[in-house]
Amino acid sequence: MFFAYDADQEEFRASLRRFLSDRAPLEAVRRATATDRGYDVELWRQMSTQLGLPGLHLPEEHGGSGTGLIEPSIVLEETGRALTSSPYAAGLLASLAVLRFGSTQSQADLLPGIASGELVATLATAEVGSPAGVGGLETTATSRGDSVTLTGTKVLVEHGHTADVLVVSATGADAGPTGARLYVVSGDAPGLSRTRSQALDLTRPVAQVMLDATPAVALGEPGDLSPLVDLGCALLSAEMVGGTAACLDMAVAYAKDRYQFNRPIGSFQAVKHRCADMLVALDGARAAAQYAVFAADRGSPELATVAPLAKAEASEAYTSAAGSTVQVLGGIGFTWEHDAHLYFRRAWADAALLGGPAAQRARVADALGL
Amino acid sequence: MDVDYPPSAQEFRSRVKAFLGEHLPADWTGMGGLPEDEREAFRVQWRRTLGEHSMLAVSWPEQYGGAGLSLVEQVVLAEEFALAGAPQGSENDSFGIGMLGNTLIHLGTEEQKAHYLPKILSGEQRWCQGYSEPEAGSDLAGIRTSAVLDGDEWVINGQKTWTSAGHLADHIFLLARTDADAPKHRGITFLLVPMEQPGVEVRPIRNLAGYSLFNEVFFTDARTARSEVVGEVNDGWRVAMALLGFERGVTATTDAIRFRAELDRLFALARERGLTSDARVRDRLAWCHSRVEVMRFRGLQALTRSLAGQRPGPESAISKIIWSEYAQAYTELAMEILGPEALVPSGQRTGGLLQMPEAGTENSPLSWVETFLAARAGTIYAGSSQIQRNIIGEVLLGLPKEPRLDAGPFRELAASRSSQARG
Ligand SMILES: Cc1cc2nc3c(=O)[nH]c(=O)nc-3n(C[C@H](O)[C@H](O)[C@H](O)COP(=O)(O)OP(=O)(O)OC[C@H]3O[C@@H](n4cnc5c(N)ncnc54)[C@H](O)[C@@H]3O)c2cc1C
Repeated sequence: MFFAYDADQEEFRASLRRFLSDRAPLEAVRRATATDRGYDVELWRQMSTQLGLPGLHLPEEHGGSGTGLIEPSIVLEETGRALTSSPYAAGLLASLAVLRFGSTQSQADLLPGIASGELVATLATAEVGSPAGVGGLETTATSRGDSVTLTGTKVLVEHGHTADVLVVSATGADAGPTGARLYVVSGDAPGLSRTRSQALDLTRPVAQVMLDATPAVALGEPGDLSPLVDLGCALLSAEMVGGTAACLDMAVAYAKDRYQFNRPIGSFQAVKHRCADMLVALDGARAAAQYAVFAADRGSPELATVAPLAKAEASEAYTSAAGSTVQVLGGIGFTWEHDAHLYFRRAWADAALLGGPAAQRARVADALGL
Repeated sequence: MDVDYPPSAQEFRSRVKAFLGEHLPADWTGMGGLPEDEREAFRVQWRRTLGEHSMLAVSWPEQYGGAGLSLVEQVVLAEEFALAGAPQGSENDSFGIGMLGNTLIHLGTEEQKAHYLPKILSGEQRWCQGYSEPEAGSDLAGIRTSAVLDGDEWVINGQKTWTSAGHLADHIFLLARTDADAPKHRGITFLLVPMEQPGVEVRPIRNLAGYSLFNEVFFTDARTARSEVVGEVNDGWRVAMALLGFERGVTATTDAIRFRAELDRLFALARERGLTSDARVRDRLAWCHSRVEVMRFRGLQALTRSLAGQRPGPESAISKIIWSEYAQAYTELAMEILGPEALVPSGQRTGGLLQMPEAGTENSPLSWVETFLAARAGTIYAGSSQIQRNIIGEVLLGLPKEPRLDAGPFRELAASRSSQARG
């Protein structure tokens, strides 16, 4: 191995792509996200039991397959390409938090359920004033004796209105030197109210979660949560690469088919070069995302600079590709019917999650000691 | 993250490091660290040292004076030279060794190999590339320089232009039209021509940055032997294209090393001027870092593909756009950082290199201004950015080509072009 996916990983990608295009084409995504729950439970069951996706990266002792992070990044790239609505990404990030910070007990409590897909878990970290959700928090933990309660408001919680378990970041007296610590809250805990948000991104259900003296359990010891943000950035970059590739495919297919002035519009350089620019940006973003995921997989300290730069590269590639796709499609691209806007919405939403490109580059500059 | 090079390559790396440690001067910081009047002598002596240690044409088979190195070893060597800021040869070597030598090894006759390769290596012959003409740039197949057989010799008439290092060369490989009645790509022949003869005149052209690095080359009944054809007569287009494909894979990982060294200079410049806390400058510096990292990651991907036996192909169009457009962007940032200092720039100059200054060049305003000016060339030569985008669109994405207006015999195309020009 040098710096490439191996043959098994490529085969896994191909079979997953076939599965998603058969089982969850975009009409199905639209139908699923329009339901209250926001995803297709039967599809999720198949993704879990038939394909074993949620447990891929989890240790075998907890019912997983112990693959490392490259396979999950492939899942995200493919679900990002297909805009699949499922609690996969939410569970992945929550489980990474549990793996990294959780005690043996909490790992044993949570991971087998996540691995089997029966327990839907999510990360509730972002706040209105804190996109990454690990610093400047207002949600506060209060301990009285052995019991802890949380009070505050979390936003953009993926599948937050339906999740069985939420991993919540909060500040407070026990939060340690970084001022943020993770807690586990049950979906049916008292004082928890959650509402699905009317979101820009139509294919990823998110919720606002309000905690009012809600009972919680600390997830292990306090510690620096920023590695979790880095993992999130690396994985989100892979998802965005998938979406960018889908946009490019869509634009190129249309540019070959659509005739004006007795020529396919793709033969006009103004269109062709715009498509070429999409590929240049995609290619760079893909290399960065892949490197970031490999660094995450190997636990390399490089992740602290590579993850934010991959996130920035992927965000800019995706938002510009999605915009270019709408432009190449012309009027049809500006309709509700056409799928282009689903990508356009996802692109801008993903770009802002965990902090936009400027915020990511500020993290890069910090990490470089500038 | 350590990317695992094969152990044999790492062993070779130590050997290259040892070689460089032993043969470079003790206080070596790069060519830019030498006084300008000592550089030429160093270059000549260094090239000799490289030759003696078979380090000039490392990819060539040993029978032709090369080192017969595997691809990964060539890459390692290029990386270590780039890291040390050590030149890999002279200006003419990129043409003689990188382009012509490799082409001859693949497409030349035994006689051509036996005759030319040793002379290219010894430095006895210095080569330049005669492709472009006043009427044929991006549309290279539109060349008009003609070659006509006269007994055992070709007689050449016409003009080449933008010929880099032509003033330092004594031989030129060129494309000439040998059948004007064929369609434009079919009547071209690839010829090897000595320049030290009455029918060849070289006139320097001063470039935008003020340096004379390229030339016009005029041919008036210039002659070369009938046998000096590479490939078949009228099949020169294929040879020309093959030549352009060589050496692509090897530089995959060195671009990032060189741009990293430049970026370190830029960081230092911004620090010296107290601008690293300026939000905009900080954002742009982090962006530059990201781009250089992307070049590094893409280089590793390309190297991985090459090691798996895939030949570099049209995806090099993406690399070309990335580095050449980045070169403009980071030097524009340097101009912004310098502000008014860039207007009357002081300090050490670069010596007029086209891509970036020699390693060891003082971090002077003048070196930045010159690099900024020189950066305009990268998006023009070796296939302009527009041509690269056409290639990406048509070859990588399969988009339809533009309607073409240049079918039919070249003679008629040339005639109709001339009448348009007059009309
Ligand atoms: C520093 C430097 C060194 C060089 N060294 C050498 C050398 O050693 N040997 C050699 O043979 N040549 C050399 N060249 C020449 C180089 O290959 C040509 O300049 C290049 O091919 C462009 O040709 P042109 O200058 O005639 O521009 P043109 O082809 O006339 O292009 C002018 C503009 O039109 C655009 N354009 C042209 N065709 C198209 C199209 N189909 N679609 C869209 N846009 C188009 C171009 O992108 C460009 O912006 C060198 C050039 C430079 C700048």
